[in-house]
Amino acid sequence: MYDKFSFAKGYRARAIFVICNTIFLILLCIAMLVPILKVLSDSFDAAGNYELRFFPRVATLDAYKLILSTESLFRPFMISVFTTVVGTLLALTISSMAAYVLTQKEMPGRNFFTYAILITMIFHGGMIPTYLVIKSLGLLNTLWAVILPMTCNTYNLILLKNFFSTIPQGIVESAEIDGCTPMMIYTKMVLPLSKAGLAAIGLFYAVAYWNTFFNFIIYINNPDLHNFQVRLRELILTDDFLQRGTFTIYPQTVQNACIIVSIIPVMILYPFLQKHFVKGVNLGAIKG
Amino acid sequence: MKSMANSNLAGLQPGSQQSKMARKMLLVKKYMPFYFMFLPALIIYVLFHYLPLWGIRIAFYEYGIFGIKYFKGLENFYELFASESFWRAFINTLLISGTNLVLGMFCSVVLSLLLNEVKNGPFKKLTQTIVYLPHFLSWVVVASIFTMILSPQTGVVNSIIKSFGGEPIYFLAKEEWWRPIFLMIYRWKETGWGTIIFLAALSAADPELYEAAWIDGASRLKQVWYITLPTIRTTILVVFIMNLSSIFNMFESVFVMQNPLVYKVSDVIQTYTYRTGLVQADFDYATAVGLFNSVLSFTLVIIANKLSKIIQGESIL
Repeated sequence: MYDKFSFAKGYRARAIFVICNTIFLILLCIAMLVPILKVLSDSFDAAGNYELRFFPRVATLDAYKLILSTESLFRPFMISVFTTVVGTLLALTISSMAAYVLTQKEMPGRNFFTYAILITMIFHGGMIPTYLVIKSLGLLNTLWAVILPMTCNTYNLILLKNFFSTIPQGIVESAEIDGCTPMMIYTKMVLPLSKAGLAAIGLFYAVAYWNTFFNFIIYINNPDLHNFQVRLRELILTDDFLQRGTFTIYPQTVQNACIIVSIIPVMILYPFLQKHFVKGVNLGAIKG
Repeated sequence: MKSMANSNLAGLQPGSQQSKMARKMLLVKKYMPFYFMFLPALIIYVLFHYLPLWGIRIAFYEYGIFGIKYFKGLENFYELFASESFWRAFINTLLISGTNLVLGMFCSVVLSLLLNEVKNGPFKKLTQTIVYLPHFLSWVVVASIFTMILSPQTGVVNSIIKSFGGEPIYFLAKEEWWRPIFLMIYRWKETGWGTIIFLAALSAADPELYEAAWIDGASRLKQVWYITLPTIRTTILVVFIMNLSSIFNMFESVFVMQNPLVYKVSDVIQTYTYRTGLVQADFDYATAVGLFNSVLSFTLVIIANKLSKIIQGESIL
């Protein structure tokens, strides 16, 4: 009744609005997708001079083959995979243990620990002091300089803590009476009960590691240890590799293909990501 | 420590100072394994968050290759306030970040209002899926995509300009173009994502209010103005305050899109810190710049928190 779609008098203005709104949103979606689709199409285009085409004139997979067969392009990809996998596992282990500890209401010092991690959200040392610490720890030019500082994200830690708090206390207590140690309770009961939460936080970490760029720029000089994001940027800006090489394909096609390669993993995770990230944002208020 | 009257501690006399201590010791002993579980995180926080705080002191020292040389007080800050490039970066940060904040809020609120009017479930979901997507791409990828699209030689935008007989424009290297283009790309990436929180607030609006307003003959526009907007007013304010407090944190987005040709219009405090500190290796000066930035951010967070307390009776921290 109230939301009826009709051109009868009294409903007409609404109907026109609905049509305009739908058209606007469709155009918006196109505007969102066009840049990505254009890059995708151009990455298969052997003709080089792309202009306004949205389908390759001569389709080719050469650019992707080149990425797979060129060490200086394939290695960064593997570095990305390595830091993402190792980083995510490490980050999940460390943060979930810490988050579980923070749910222990009676533990002396719990509030102190909670505030200690919350403070880091509002005041931090800054770029140079952090760089100097990493330097003095001897982590410069190692992948640990990228992996370790990101293993504890305060926001993720608090989300995990909130998640663990929803586990019924009764189950844990009965296991305690049965003589389970805290570590056993954690690994045998809490973790299996929190699969959904762990998956969500794991995805958050994985995207963060995959998209890491700046930490590589500051902490790692050795180009052999750079990840795909850094390599992509080099390739887009100025690159000897593309200028020098005698390839059968246009440099721009390789550049486009590299963009697509760095998007693919995020695209694969996206259906899961969207659901969990939205939940995370709506959990909103971060309270100690 | 309210719940200390625990059954296994019942043997102790309550109240006395000594028994309090003993109780605490017993609890610490009971929770010993948990302290070990917290240890790895504690180490990470101490190493990468607290040690750098101690490192801030080099802002007040002369720092050489072998470490701290001598105390020089506020000299770095005098140099900072006298530096033209610093003020340029400071003003750019306020301008770019401020415009981005206002523009971002406006676009996200409008888009969430429009999305809220969509009654067709699957279409709404599809639209949301598409507009959230760019948020998950890194700034490097986004900058790369638009570098290709805006490229003066092969980019699609310049192809269109050329087909109309115009001269190709190198958008990302022209001072007059850089800021508008940057803000547009930023909107492309984050507008959709920004709607999530407003959509959640909008779903809390009471449908009966709309029915009643409709029966009373209120037009749609009036309904939006008198029912919808008041519902999300607090959310808009809170989001605004929170974004305001992170206004000085603009970095990676600018870093990946700027180039030496457009430093004048694009340099922000953080990119300036990076260049003076890590490129020119002027560690103490760059730390001073960073400290200035951190203190400003911190002050803004505290003010934002106070404002939030006044507005919604609840602090955001």
